[in-house]
This record gives sequence, structure tokens and C-alpha cells, in this order.
Amino acid sequence: MKTRAKAAFSVLLVCLQLMFFLSLTGCWDSVELNRRAIVSGVAIDRGPNEEQKYVISFQIIVADEISGENSRGVSPVTLYTGRGRTMFEALANASRQTARFLSLGHVRVLVISEAFAREGIKGIMDVLERESDMRLTTLFFISKGQPAIDCMSTLTVFGKIPSNDLVEKLETTSKQFGYSYKMEVDDVIRGIQTIGGGPLINGVYVSGARSKADTKKNLETIEPQAIIRIKGLAVFKDDKLKGWLEGEAAAGAALIRNKIKHLPVIIKMKDGSYVSCNVYQSQVHIKAELTDPEHPVFSVRITQQAAIKESSNDLELTDPQVLKDISVKIAEVTHQQLETAIVSTQKLKSDVLGFGEVLERSHPRGWKKIRDRWSRIYATSRIEIATEAVIRHTDMRTDSFQVNKPE
Amino acid sequence: MNIKRSASRKAGTGESASLEYSGPKLTDNLQQTLENIVTELGDAPDLKIRRVRLSGDRNVLAAAVHLSELADTTAVNEFVIGSLLDQTGEWNADTSASADTLPELILSHALNVGEAVLQEDWKEIMLAILSGDTAILLEGYSVSIVCQTKGGESRQVSESTAQLVVRGSKDSFVESVATNVSLIRRRIKSSKLRLEYMQIGTVTRTHVALMFIQETADADQVDEVRRRLAKISIDGILESGYIEELIQDKTFTPFPTIYNTERPDVVAGNLLEGRIIVIVDGTPFVLILPAVFTQFFQSAEDYSQRFDIVILMRLIRYISFIVLILGPSIYVALTTYHYEMIPTTLLINLLAQRENVPFPAFVEAMLMEITFEILREAGVRMPRVIGQTVSVVGALILGQAVVEAGIITPIMVIVVALTGIASFAIPAYNLAIAGRIIRFGFTLLAGMFGFYGVTLGLIVLVAHMNSLRSFGIPYLFPFVPLSVKGQKDTILRLPLWAMKPHRSPQEAREDRPAGTKVTSGHKENLAPQIRRKSDGDTAGGEVGQEGGWDENKS
Repeated sequence: MKTRAKAAFSVLLVCLQLMFFLSLTGCWDSVELNRRAIVSGVAIDRGPNEEQKYVISFQIIVADEISGENSRGVSPVTLYTGRGRTMFEALANASRQTARFLSLGHVRVLVISEAFAREGIKGIMDVLERESDMRLTTLFFISKGQPAIDCMSTLTVFGKIPSNDLVEKLETTSKQFGYSYKMEVDDVIRGIQTIGGGPLINGVYVSGARSKADTKKNLETIEPQAIIRIKGLAVFKDDKLKGWLEGEAAAGAALIRNKIKHLPVIIKMKDGSYVSCNVYQSQVHIKAELTDPEHPVFSVRITQQAAIKESSNDLELTDPQVLKDISVKIAEVTHQQLETAIVSTQKLKSDVLGFGEVLERSHPRGWKKIRDRWSRIYATSRIEIATEAVIRHTDMRTDSFQVNKPE
Repeated sequence: MNIKRSASRKAGTGESASLEYSGPKLTDNLQQTLENIVTELGDAPDLKIRRVRLSGDRNVLAAAVHLSELADTTAVNEFVIGSLLDQTGEWNADTSASADTLPELILSHALNVGEAVLQEDWKEIMLAILSGDTAILLEGYSVSIVCQTKGGESRQVSESTAQLVVRGSKDSFVESVATNVSLIRRRIKSSKLRLEYMQIGTVTRTHVALMFIQETADADQVDEVRRRLAKISIDGILESGYIEELIQDKTFTPFPTIYNTERPDVVAGNLLEGRIIVIVDGTPFVLILPAVFTQFFQSAEDYSQRFDIVILMRLIRYISFIVLILGPSIYVALTTYHYEMIPTTLLINLLAQRENVPFPAFVEAMLMEITFEILREAGVRMPRVIGQTVSVVGALILGQAVVEAGIITPIMVIVVALTGIASFAIPAYNLAIAGRIIRFGFTLLAGMFGFYGVTLGLIVLVAHMNSLRSFGIPYLFPFVPLSVKGQKDTILRLPLWAMKPHRSPQEAREDRPAGTKVTSGHKENLAPQIRRKSDGDTAGGEVGQEGGWDENKS
């Protein structure tokens, strides 16, 4: 009996002690939601001097304006900027301006200015990896020729949070008719680590009247005054930006990286009319031959499947020969795209397309000998391109209604 | 046999004799005996004594004693008194009969009653009278003939109120043991079905019936149940909950280790699976033991619906148990510690909701949970008409008002409502209330340590459940210890042919956990009454076939 009473007493005591915990306000790292400032996007600019090297802008969600009943009709996001010698100092300086805890757990977009990217982004990447709140799945952008803060301070039509708008834009373009694809912090870090190469990062810029971008006026007109656009691929060598791929070159780069889901191809016919095709599947195989270590030979073989989307002429699309001719032309266009991409990156001496990786896999021993000089060797190595395209269907019609028109 | 045993106890009972009269209470003097009975029962107005003179050669004075409110008056009048007054009875003439005494003669020749025995023990006679039987006393004989005339009002067998099914039998147990036994016997017409009676409660002397199927049920387990029942020393048993609490393996646990039901079909099914049942007079709730965790997720209907649908329903029950114990704690942990785990768009929603709420999420959760419990508690015992009002006022008006006043976030109301509904999805009420208690603990842990605390809590919970035994069977069987054979009717419910209902008792027993010994539980956890008695006394006490009811004579 005595032991039982003792046990009961000790249980009671433990319960009592647990109750005391409750009276300690602010348990450990407990933060109520209404004490948090949720950051949706971060822009990092290069400051004018070393004292203010990092200029970090945080786009913070004002939840009340987005879904609250008691919204005041003001901007759905707000921007706080902190400066400092290090990322952490800048973050701390920005925190001091806000009434709440800056919470980085939901950062979806990270934009770095071109100026900073040309200088090198190693310092930034370390913080992104080290900070426990940050996600490695945050999307990475390079602000093209503009301060990165502009992208954070542009109001958007769809979705009240500009960062989300940017994310969704990227998702749409990567699925339909675009060469930009998702590049996350993790991809960038891995890209920096590739020997002789670097990451390939989406470019972003604000077009239109940038002075009106951050006011509600941007949304009041039917046609927005300023729009955030995704354009170009930034080619990095290690952690430094070297140049941009645009148009055909960018499309070629995305094709070699096997990231294309849908790509429009426009073919000019003999009679001057155009046929538009949609390449909905493409597969790249790269092979490496290393007979002479100094001169590796790569063969890029690409197979594509396409559909005819537009043919406003009298082509007889029921004729297999016609389709064959068109597919040959698609292959030619693709060939051109790949070649431009390869040549441009060779010029920039950066193996962002991942040829080194192929070589390492197929010839690990040879790779060891040349990997220190790889970027130089890559610039001069021979790359053969073989393209093949098949037209699978012509969508809802075969021939255009113009074909059998009575004369 | 009865006489022998009764006689041996006589000495014991004699000691507690009243002060006025010191001799034996059952005497051969009829008048004295009747006076003793009247005194013993405190001159009860419903005590009826009918004196008759047995006509014929013997001319003996006799008396029939019964309690008119308790006995079936028709039976007493027609069969007991009627037989005694029957002049033409052949026993009456048979004066030259052999060595048989008059009471034996009456017993063997006269009474038109289905059940009657000679009783020499005063205590037993009193008990019989108090149970509604009629005692016949004869001048010159210190023995009584006890006739079964139990009657009195009892509830009709009606539809179950606590465990409803869409498809299945619609009868349910009532407060009378005899009726309940009949409901079971009607379902299992097997000679292997065993029934034992005992009386528990020093004052109430409640009839308790123990039923099991010989060979199918584990003999050790049956012994253990008998032993524990015998060791109960308590004034009164008013409900099977009393017994449950006294014989369960562990007191300090929220989990029930004995199943209870008011459905005869459930009882029959469990008997066939080798379990033991305990019926207590005065309650329609019958105990089934041993009971493991998965059993509380089974419903009677599971076996009348298609098996695939049942599997889905079972899954939903398990999920609702998880929702029940973890719902509010996950909400609290997510919003106060792990905001990064909430999808961004949902987070923005939550943020906007929480913007003007004055309380921390933990306080909010506790407030709402307690409010819900108050509502539930208020609604349970309300008369049915008002009960509806309570739930409407509580759920709708209070819920909406609280949100509009900005005290609680709408999502919290959703979470609480969800856990509330989840608690009703669990078929066993006693497991649902266990879940409710555990839920508070988890909310507390989540408020203090976030998911870290919740995880620790889960580990402790599972460890605790593993420590539980129900009459030697591990509580989490067939998951721990894992038995593949035993999975046939847990989360899954295989088609009946796959569950092999025609298996032999040996096969049935093989499905039970191997290597587990029937124990007297964790001795220190047993109820004090049973614990105290289990030291030393192993004889089994007063268990056994208490005479009177004939089902156990098979």
C-alpha cells in the first residue's frame, strides 16, 4: 500500500511539474502564427560598397489582405530591405524593421541581380544551405540587367503574391512552349560543383513601366503597366555568370538537358507559308568517345515526336511523303538549335550542358586525366549532332479545308 | 450434494444468529421457523405466508413462504399451493411408502414445479425467498423445499440502443440473466456450451453467469476467470462495470481490456471464437474477455456486410481513432512549431484567420475541446427532446458565435468538430472515451514540444499498450506479437470461407498468441480486493455450481 501511495504521489508530482511548463510563456521555439511574417520571395542585390555588400529584400505576405475578412485594401505584400557585410547581417537588419519574426520556411523564389551573379554567388549559396528554415526547393532566378528588387516589387494580376506569380509562370512555360524549366537552389549548388561547368539559371526581368510596377495602378489598367517576364538562361562558370543563352541557343540547351515538355517549331515552306509544329516529346542520348584524351568526340542523338498544329495552306497532309518532308525540316531546325547552344557554351568555356558528366561515366579513367583542364578541352571538342523527328499526328484535322477547294 | 455442502456451512451461518433467539433458525417447529423468517426480513409487508394443512393420513401443517412482489404469483398459487392442497395426489395415499421422509415424498410426487430442491441451509433458504422463490416448510421437519417461482416484472427484449446496426439481429440483452442466457442458448445449440452461476456481492448476492464453449475456450483462461470472480469481495454488484473493474488486468490505463456488449449475436460470435462471457444480473451489458485492441474496432455488422466494404469501414474506424487522438495536437504543433510544413496557400489562410485571435493555438484548442466535452456531457443525459436542442445550440450557434466573436479560428472549430465526429465513428464507446482522454495529453505535448512531443507521446502510448494484457493475451495481438494467421479479422476482414469458421477447437486455439501464459495479470495492478485475496487463498472460495438453476447440470 505504501509503495502504491508513493507511486501515486510521484505521478501527481510529475503532472504538477508538467503543468508548470504551461505557465512558462513562449515555450522554447514556439511562435504563434500571428507573430510570424511569412516571406514569400527574396531578392539579393549587390550594394554599392563592401559595408553594404548584401542588399536583401524580403517580400512578406500580408495575409489579411489576401484572404482576411478585414482587409484594408492595401498591398497584399510588403517589402523590407536590409543591408550588411554578410547575408546574416543583412537579414538581421531587415528583421529589425519588422514587427514580427521573419520566417523563411515558405520562400518560393530567390532572385539574384545580374551584377551580383557576375561577381560570384558562393557566399549566398552557403547561407541558403546552412539556414534551417530555407528550403532547397526554392526556385532560383537571375534578374536580367535589373536590380533584383524590381521583381519583388511588381504587383501581379493573377495571384496576389508576386512570388507565386513568378513560380506559376515558370511552371506554365516549362510545360507549354518554353525553354525555361525549374531550377531550384539544390540544382544550382550541384551545378556550381560540376567540374568545368556551372549552373544554368533562368533569367527574369520586369518589362514595361517599372516606376508604376509597385503600385496598385499597375493592376488598374486592362493591360498591366509592368509584367514580370522569364527570359533567357544564364550560363555560369563555377559560381560566376558568364553570359546568356537566348532564343534558339536557350531552346537547344534545354533540349540537351532533356527538360523540354512542349516546344513550338515553325517551319517555312517553299511557297513562303508556315507550318507550326509542336514537339511534345524529345529524347536526347549523348555518347562520348575518348580515343585521344585531348580531343574527346561526342555524339548527340535526338529523337523527337511532333504534332502539326497549324497548316494554313494546301499541303496534302494525308500524304506520308509530305509529313516526312516536314519532319525532316523539324530535324533541321532542331539541329540548328542544338548547334547554336553548343557553340555558344563552348565560346563561354562553360560546360553547363553536362558533357563532362557523360565523359566521366563512360570513361572514368580518361576523365581523371583531363578533368582539371576540362573547360578548355570542352571549348575545342568535336560534337556531332544527329537529329530525327517523327510527326505522329495532325491534330483534329488531316488536310486543311482549303485543300479540296473547287477551283 | 447440495444438502451436504449446505450442511457443512451451517456452523458458520449459525454464528450470526439474532439476539432474541439463539437456537438454529430452521427448526422442526414450524411456528418458530416462520417467526424467524419474519424477524429476519424485518416484518416485510410483501412477505406472504400461506399455511395449509396437508390432508390425508399425515395431517401435517405446512407453510409456503414467498415475497409477493418478487415471485410469480400465478406459479405460487397454482403449482405450489395448488399441489400441496391436492387431495388426490398419489403421494398422499402412499403412507406405507419406504424410508422416504415426507419432504422427499412431496418433492418426488407432489410438486408441479419444474425446479424444486430440498434445502437445509438457512442462508440459502433466505436467499431463495429473496430471489423470488417459494419455500415450503413442514411441521416436524427442519428442511425446506425451495420451489422456483421467480417472477416479477422485467423489461421486454427490445432493439439495442447502444450498438445499432443496419443489418443484423435486432434483439438485445435485458436486465435478467435468465433471459440473457436464453438469448445466447437460442443461438448456440451446442452441448459444449457451458454455463456456470455464481453469486457475487455480500449484500446484493447478484447472480453472475459465466459462459464459454468447452474445448474452444482455453481451459486455463476459464480457470483464471473463475478464480478472479471468486476473489471479488464487495458489498454489491449493480452493473457489469463493477465486475469489469475488479477483474481487469490493469487499473491505471485508459484502455478497456474487457469488451462489453448488449448484443447477443456479438456474444455468440465471441463464444465461438473461444472467448468467455460474464453475464451480470441487472444489466444488459455482458462482458466478453479476453479482449484485445482490434476487437474494439469490430462491429456486429462486419459479418453481415460484404467483406470488401467491411475492410473499408474498418480502415475508416482506425483512421478516425488516429484523428481522434492526434487531430488537435497536430493542428497545435503545426501552427506553433512547424509552420513550414503547411502548404503556402493554406498557411496564408490560417494566418489571416489567426490575425485577430487573442489566444495561442494551444489555449484555443483546449478551450474548444473542453467546450465540446461539456456539450457532449450535457447532451448525453438530457431527455431526448432537449438533447437535440443542446446539440443544435452547442454545435451550430456556439460554434458560429465563437468564430464571429473572433475568439476561435474557424479552422479550430473544424478540427474539433472532426475529432468529435471521429470519436463517434469508433464502434466501442469505452475505447472512444479512452481516445478522448489521450487526445488531451497529446494536445498538451504538442503545445509544449511540437511534433517532437507528439512523437515521444506516441512512443510512450505504444509502449503502454504493449504492456497491457487481457487475461494473459497481449493487448496489441495480433500485431504485437505479430501473427500472420491472426490478421484475418483485424484491420482486414477476409471472406468467411478464408477465415475458416469450421475449424476445430485445436485450430482455433492455434490462432492465439504463442508462448503466452495465462497469468493473473500484473498482480500489483489488479483491484485491491482481488490482490489481497490472491495472497494465500487459492482454494477458489465460493465459486462453483451454486444450485438452483439447472442449466449447468449438463
